[in-house]
Amino acid sequence: MSKFLKVLSLGVSLAALPVLAGGALAGDPDKGAKVFKKCAACHAVGENAKNKVGPQLNEVFGRAAGTLEDYKYSKAMISAGDDGLVWDDATLTTYLEKPRAMIKGTKMAFAGLKKEKDLENVIAYLATFSSSAPAAEEQQGSAEPEPAEGEVQTAEAASAPAPVSATRDGGVFGLGRVATEDEIAAWDIDVRPDGMGLPQGSGTVADGEVLYTDNCAVCHGDFGEGVGRWPVLAGGQDTLTDERPEKTIGSYWPYLSTVYDYVRRAMPYGNARSLSDDDVYAITAYLLYLNDIVEDEDFELSNENFTEIRLPNEENFIADDRAEEPHYADKGDPCMSDCKDSPVEITMHAQILDVTPGSVDDNDAAGMGGVD
Amino acid sequence: MNDETVSQSPNLSRRTLLKAGLATGVAAGAAGAAHAGGDPLITEVQDWNRYLGEGVQSRPYGTPSEFEAHVVRRDVEWLTASTESSVNFTPLQDLDGIITPNGLCFERHHGGIAEINPADHRLMINGLVDTPLVFTMEDLKRFPRENRVYFLECAANSGMEWRGSQLNGCQYTHGMVHCVMYTGVPLKLILEEAGIKTNGKWVMPEGADASAMTRSIPMEKALDDCLVAFKMNGEALRPEQGYPLRLVVPGWEGNMWVKWLRRIEVGDEPWHQREETSKYTDLLESGKARRFTWVMDAKSVVTNPSPQAPITHGKGPLVISGVAWSGNGRITRVDVSIDGGRNWKTARLDGPSLSKAMHRFYLDIDWDGSDLLIQSRAMDESGYFQPTKTELRAARGENSIYHNNGIQTWHVKADGTVENVEVS
Repeated sequence: MSKFLKVLSLGVSLAALPVLAGGALAGDPDKGAKVFKKCAACHAVGENAKNKVGPQLNEVFGRAAGTLEDYKYSKAMISAGDDGLVWDDATLTTYLEKPRAMIKGTKMAFAGLKKEKDLENVIAYLATFSSSAPAAEEQQGSAEPEPAEGEVQTAEAASAPAPVSATRDGGVFGLGRVATEDEIAAWDIDVRPDGMGLPQGSGTVADGEVLYTDNCAVCHGDFGEGVGRWPVLAGGQDTLTDERPEKTIGSYWPYLSTVYDYVRRAMPYGNARSLSDDDVYAITAYLLYLNDIVEDEDFELSNENFTEIRLPNEENFIADDRAEEPHYADKGDPCMSDCKDSPVEITMHAQILDVTPGSVDDNDAAGMGGVD
Repeated sequence: MNDETVSQSPNLSRRTLLKAGLATGVAAGAAGAAHAGGDPLITEVQDWNRYLGEGVQSRPYGTPSEFEAHVVRRDVEWLTASTESSVNFTPLQDLDGIITPNGLCFERHHGGIAEINPADHRLMINGLVDTPLVFTMEDLKRFPRENRVYFLECAANSGMEWRGSQLNGCQYTHGMVHCVMYTGVPLKLILEEAGIKTNGKWVMPEGADASAMTRSIPMEKALDDCLVAFKMNGEALRPEQGYPLRLVVPGWEGNMWVKWLRRIEVGDEPWHQREETSKYTDLLESGKARRFTWVMDAKSVVTNPSPQAPITHGKGPLVISGVAWSGNGRITRVDVSIDGGRNWKTARLDGPSLSKAMHRFYLDIDWDGSDLLIQSRAMDESGYFQPTKTELRAARGENSIYHNNGIQTWHVKADGTVENVEVS
């Protein structure tokens, strides 16, 4: 019996699954659409849905696990499919509650949905994109719906037109109101190279490895090598003068504070602000380790020792000196006639002859200056 | 008729459209001569001339004609790993004048489009100020406001062209630029409302989106001409342009124009955020990298003819048209060459000439049907002339990504098609 089936023996045998799947779904697809925002960074549904970091989820109901042809699954997911795992209400519920508990080795970094309602609702939402899925149950008791937290707030905001505009004493116009300390603390999380803004806390390389594997590796690779076109985070030392430089934290970034600041404000991609301050210290420590800037797995990064760490490329950043380039000095009337000795020759043609969206081969086209 | 079929089929690829366009150009020319009895579009009563059209309110928010369905922003999928942190391009070849329609302004997001109810939006001013403040949108609309027209160019515009001609179309080579009229409050007024402490030398705007975009801006610029804007071209900002509030940093790289603006911190030093260290720094051949390269230097491009807008009318009168802009002020002159930069003629600037705004130029020529190598060269009021790509590469190498304002060459062939090339 394969691993996932053991996990599934929460009482559900394979034979029982179709029966169970035949029943109406308990969730509310509309609420599920909101829950799905947590998934949307990696998964697409609906018209023209394509594979992203994760596979597209149209027609996921009834699909054997790991079988979309144009998506590269983990070995674990493919073998789960080989062993008979088919997605339906029951299997999705188990999987989405704790993905790695059911399929050890899945690429999906998502930790799982803790609330039962969220699970029901997101599955009901996914079902609307699967023709073979059962329909959602008629929602009962619409007179007393159970509003999600966010909805309560919105409703209040709509009914109470409270903070439309305020005036105060002081200032030039006396507009606005004084920000509270809690409000400033909630938004002012930026960190500077001199350590200003670092929160109290710490994290080790070893802790960082676990966090990184769970939260970052799906895009950035197990060793910071980058998956597909996602940013490479490690390596690339001494490549800055190469034809194809590899700009990583270790090879290019001038300051460690930027790593801490950015991970804390914007990562993981699609689930920002979900890591604790200690988590961010640990991940930052692990990124130092991946870049050979610290070598001890027991190394602990904290607000105390943070500014002692210097990144190797710091000295190679210079001020904007474009004005010293020769052509900037060339002011005055430029040449208007017979500016070149001989008739002009074409030296280079556009390499990509057809850039119509959808017609370019990703792999052939990769490798030029991107805009990430 | 052929051209109707083409225009009404939204699913046709751009390329098919171009080819068809070329074909109809020829067909239409022939039609004029062939119909002795006259053009049936004139001699026969047309449906739109006989039957009533849609009434008022059939399109409460007006949309372009169905025959303009090909005029859209486009992206290049392989450029980025996901559409939420990506870019698309303004269809410059389909536009004229100096103002970009709101729905065609290129998009650049780092964490997708934040959808924010303006009633839920706040702007905080904190850091080295006398009084940290919070403003609602309604508060901001009680400050004196101004209307100003500015171009916005992504620092990476033309970034794919550093190593040579890559993309066939000015939409792709130059389309990370747009120009609209902003309505907003001078940033100076908002900062002064909080009171800037004497050691406040930098500001850091922050976005409310999932990337919480941040950049460091020197106080001198913040107090000079920056705006906190809530309207573009007279209507509310579009969601993809930062609704309900964005920063306007005239003449400086687009990444600094923080969208969904929710906070401005005042500090005594720059923050060295991700978008001003790891990105938006210009790696030189020496391995050194320039940082804080804010100004977008003078630049121009011929939008018509160009690869997506071939000549369909044969020889004779030809309008060569394009746009020019400079982060250092007004464009004072644009020269155009049709022989790859050997000889130049000064083009005609037409329409308003506003500092740090797009300018429109035209050169009206009599095309003899021979191959052309069309270039344009902009000059701004500082006396700076747009450099050649060769000059830029000699100074910086090929790995700078950003700030490529080199002169563009289009090869117009005898059949009217156009290709992106580089020349000796």
